[in-house]
Amino acid sequence: MGRRILFITTDQMRYDAIGANGGRVARTPVIDSLAANGISYDRAQPSNVVCMPSRATMVTGQNVGTHGVWMNGVPLPEQSASVARVLGEAGYRTALIGKSHFEPLLDPFLRFGENIHAMRGETIGTHGFEHMELATHGAVGFNHYAQWVQKNHPEVIGGFFQVLDRELEVSGVPGGDTGAPQIKVNPIDPEWYHTDWVARQTMSWLDSIGADDDWFCWMSFPDPHHPWDPPASEMHRVNWRDLDLPENYVEDRAAREAIIDAKPRHWRKWYDGEIVSNYEAPARWVPATLTPDQIREVNAYAHVENELIDEAIGRVLAHIEARGWGDDLDIIFTTDHGEFQGDFGFLFKGPYHVDALARLPLIWRPAPSAVQQDPERVSKPVGLLDLAPTFCAIAGVTPPDWMEGRPLPVTDADAEARGFERSLIEWDSCQPDGTDVHCRTILRDDLLCTMYRPGTMHDGTEGELYDLVADPLQRVNLWDDPARQSIKADLLADLFDNLVESTMELRPQAPV
Amino acid sequence: MWDVLRDPMRIVEWFPGITGVSMEGAVRTIVMASGLPVHEDIVTIDNRLRRFQYRITGPLPVSFHLATMDVIDIGTPESPESLLIYSTEIVPDPMSFVLDGATATAIANLASILNDHAELRPTGEPR
Repeated sequence: MGRRILFITTDQMRYDAIGANGGRVARTPVIDSLAANGISYDRAQPSNVVCMPSRATMVTGQNVGTHGVWMNGVPLPEQSASVARVLGEAGYRTALIGKSHFEPLLDPFLRFGENIHAMRGETIGTHGFEHMELATHGAVGFNHYAQWVQKNHPEVIGGFFQVLDRELEVSGVPGGDTGAPQIKVNPIDPEWYHTDWVARQTMSWLDSIGADDDWFCWMSFPDPHHPWDPPASEMHRVNWRDLDLPENYVEDRAAREAIIDAKPRHWRKWYDGEIVSNYEAPARWVPATLTPDQIREVNAYAHVENELIDEAIGRVLAHIEARGWGDDLDIIFTTDHGEFQGDFGFLFKGPYHVDALARLPLIWRPAPSAVQQDPERVSKPVGLLDLAPTFCAIAGVTPPDWMEGRPLPVTDADAEARGFERSLIEWDSCQPDGTDVHCRTILRDDLLCTMYRPGTMHDGTEGELYDLVADPLQRVNLWDDPARQSIKADLLADLFDNLVESTMELRPQAPV
Repeated sequence: MWDVLRDPMRIVEWFPGITGVSMEGAVRTIVMASGLPVHEDIVTIDNRLRRFQYRITGPLPVSFHLATMDVIDIGTPESPESLLIYSTEIVPDPMSFVLDGATATAIANLASILNDHAELRPTGEPR
């Protein structure tokens, strides 16, 4: 028997969403306890700040340029490299329960394996997993959760926010008390909400396997990704009127817009509603119209969702403890990318490689039987790229050569000794209206540097450079600062020395 | 190639995600793998031009659609070869990614069918 692995992900969660990372609103005692008995990573970054490329990196352990999923809507081929397949071949039982999003969700021709299996009620896994039960952000579509709701509680389907409008654009229909986009009071019973469903199906799968089996289970919560529509009965937990505005929301409009104007031009164009640089942001919503109260209300909904996730994790961990696996259990908790939640006056996400979207919560609680772990914080940059090799290391399997990350360091000294110096992020997008954005980012030496390649938005000269020590909120763009040109050149040279260039041979099959 | 494309009923052989097809007059109804029936008007079958056009009329959320397939002979009697130009106009825009991906697979399926089944390639005819 080896170490069991519970891999917990949320979707679109900020670094500061949890108490262990300084979050002051959502109560997350279970996740915080993992940090208290494990390793917290203060500079964990995705390889891409939207779901499908980021999740492809998690399961393959590869850069975007290698696995090829360069934007949402590009499917990860079924026979791609997969850590689940590696662990399965090493004798592990493997499951993914919740949101996978390795393949497009919008699939009217029902062409993709994940959707086909779910539609047929099968729990056959794809991408190397033995077992899959899938969910996403509502009760429609080809996933097991939607099928379950439609069969057992069809009356609640209309309680969720309807994500797409009649023109298949992401809806910005206002809701809540403030008219914020993508929020809705959802009368659903919490037990029928996808957070509880994911936890319940995870426990059910664990009950189906033998006490002596080794297992790897990816429990993947769809929240707190928009739309924000948690059970109404839980909204008493956080009163939006009581919330402070985010630290990185500048209330003075002129000052806020001056900060945005110092960034590459697509920031201001999205702010003014001239472009949408990511399909998932509502097509007709203009960020400049976002009010302080709307930010408070969106954040309240997100905090409630995060509390529900924390409690669901607690139930699963108690279940695992009751099965006698607790001492042999490694737990890794993270998310696929972040969310603006009001920073700079924005919601949602897109080609904006700042901490709101690119600094992630990541905690590793090693199996107590293997490691007596004192609480540790690692400040060196690591990436979701490093997860798959870490799972291999936990399982006692040598990470295959095709994995491009390395097992996570356990201390800063370990990180330094093994050369964890930099983290890279890539973005390429092409919207149905022809808008395209291409950027590459390097984080190194507490400097965050993004260069923009030519596209419909940029001419190849623009960029962002932030000193994360002097300017932790990334408000002062140093890209054109004459005093920073030498270090900028060095960072860009380092970026391209380490970048795996994408060939972009895979084509989008859907907008998401 | 034209023999395959000009028959509205044969779309089930090469376009992905289609499990059934029927015709009533100039209206083709395809049944997608999800069970959803999609209705299409067959607009053009021109054997001289080797042009096939069809239009999705419902119930997909499509406000405008016109697909055109042109088969152009670019080979010789000794080495028959065809060029397929498959163009689609569609509104709303987000559906373009869906159809683009499906169409790419359809064209690959066509090539595979024609390469694997020589009987579908009459000698001297474009393929």
